[in-house]
Amino acid sequence: MNTHSVVNGDNGKEKIIIIKNLNFYYDDVHVLKNINLEIEKNSVTALIGPSGCGKTTLLRVFNKMYKLVNNARVEGEVVFDGKNILDDNSFDDFELRSRIGMVFQKPNPFYMSIYENIAFGPKLRGIKKKRILDEIVERSLRLADMWDEVKDRLHKPATSLSGGQQQRLCIARALAVEPEVLLMDEPTSALDPLSSSKIEELIVELSNDYTVVIVTHNMQQASRISDYTGFLLMGELIEFDRTEKIFTSPSDKRTENYVTGKFG
Amino acid sequence: MEIKDNDISTIKFRYKLDDVITHISLLLSVLLIVGFFVVILSVIFVGGYEKITWEFLTQPPEEGMTKGGIFPAIIGTILLVIVTSTFAVPLGIITAIYLTEYGKKDSFFYRFVNESINLLSSIPTIVIGLFGLAFFVIYIGGVIDKVFYGGNLNWGKPALIWAGLTMGLVSMPVVVTAVREALEAVPANLKEASFALGATKMETILKVVLPRASTGILTGLILGISRSTGEVAPVLFTGAAYFLPHLPSSLSNQFMELGYHIYIMSTQSVDVDATLPIQFATTLVLLGITFLLNILAILVRRRLRKNEYA
Repeated sequence: MNTHSVVNGDNGKEKIIIIKNLNFYYDDVHVLKNINLEIEKNSVTALIGPSGCGKTTLLRVFNKMYKLVNNARVEGEVVFDGKNILDDNSFDDFELRSRIGMVFQKPNPFYMSIYENIAFGPKLRGIKKKRILDEIVERSLRLADMWDEVKDRLHKPATSLSGGQQQRLCIARALAVEPEVLLMDEPTSALDPLSSSKIEELIVELSNDYTVVIVTHNMQQASRISDYTGFLLMGELIEFDRTEKIFTSPSDKRTENYVTGKFG
Repeated sequence: MEIKDNDISTIKFRYKLDDVITHISLLLSVLLIVGFFVVILSVIFVGGYEKITWEFLTQPPEEGMTKGGIFPAIIGTILLVIVTSTFAVPLGIITAIYLTEYGKKDSFFYRFVNESINLLSSIPTIVIGLFGLAFFVIYIGGVIDKVFYGGNLNWGKPALIWAGLTMGLVSMPVVVTAVREALEAVPANLKEASFALGATKMETILKVVLPRASTGILTGLILGISRSTGEVAPVLFTGAAYFLPHLPSSLSNQFMELGYHIYIMSTQSVDVDATLPIQFATTLVLLGITFLLNILAILVRRRLRKNEYA
């Protein structure tokens, strides 16, 4: 790994993404206001806040998915691997999205078999040999804890899986290109409690080898699975700290009101 | 509010009456439509089925259309469909992809393309036929003859290719509209997933959007193609022939066409009594081809669905 990326925080742990003075606009609407944030490597960072606070927009800055929307404008720095990703000369989208994967709110498997869904990313990267693809598919499905469930029906349509399985498939699909960071945009909001808790366990497991940034509406979820929590309100990062601190003794009154359910 | 027993029975009666009226009126409307369909089909079938023999399907017409078969018209129609599709299908799909995936909805060019397609589909087909004669046959064909054949008449006359192109103008808007609907039905979050894996826009369209929309696209193509088997006006001046002893051997040849054949038999027959059954039988064959195309497409579609994940 590039030595530039090794930035040690107070606790001596490596920071993988550092956001400095980030401002984000849709047309003239100021969606994110001067965000400063450091994401620790191999941890789970949760972004919480009421609807419209900008948490999903913030998540979509990490892999530059905001570019899909016209009239989006962004200022500031998002440093990943020693380079500012917002600088168009630093990473192209392909490299960036290879290293920072994403899982979405609603399970969105492609209209293909389970196997082809996983192989989609590797194939884009020019991997054609069946043996290698087979290995990637197995490894990714094992990582997502679903190899045993689907190993006998890899060539069945992905849409034949249950909602929870589909979401784990989407996680496996994102892992297949071996990213370092996994962005998750409310990954359990469309799932039943049982499927949700399986995904939560999976996230905790994955954080041993990956850095997870998760947007969630569900505060219990944030407190259960994350190491760090950031609370956003109307485009501002009100507070960012260790999760225990945010949920037990937040320093800002607004954070306390939100996590105790006084508004939201 | 207290509701009395006889109030309830009035309400119940009203509901029942409502129900009965709705059912009867719906049933009548549906029966009316189905009835027309059945009457049309049975008139044609009863009038023509006796005529349909192997000879009828494989022999050319004889003695001023009063005897013989319609073989050249069947082949001509099939050739026309092939030429039309070669032109209209790729262009239609590309236009639809532009409109759904690339065009900026508020740009002048997007609106221009969009309105052109809408207008094109509302132009009467006889006007398109005349345009085909003036533009493709006389102008384009004429230029080709002048440049490559020293003015000798080769392409500057009604021909299969010009009829196909003209017919393409009729079927293209149908193809565009249907393919567009199919593309727009692809959920945005599938595209997002593809982009998030690093795919480019082109890769996303080719690998995610088009496969997902394939059934809808196929339906669109069938619609466009069945449209071109039924139309007569676009080929009237641009390529269809009254009678030809030979099958067309080149794109510059004229051809016989089923719809046009029915038209001339019903308007220019020398012996109405003798041609009437042939007319019925020809219509039956034309309908048969249209139905066959549709059935074929349904089968292909089913196969596609089955093999999609293999």
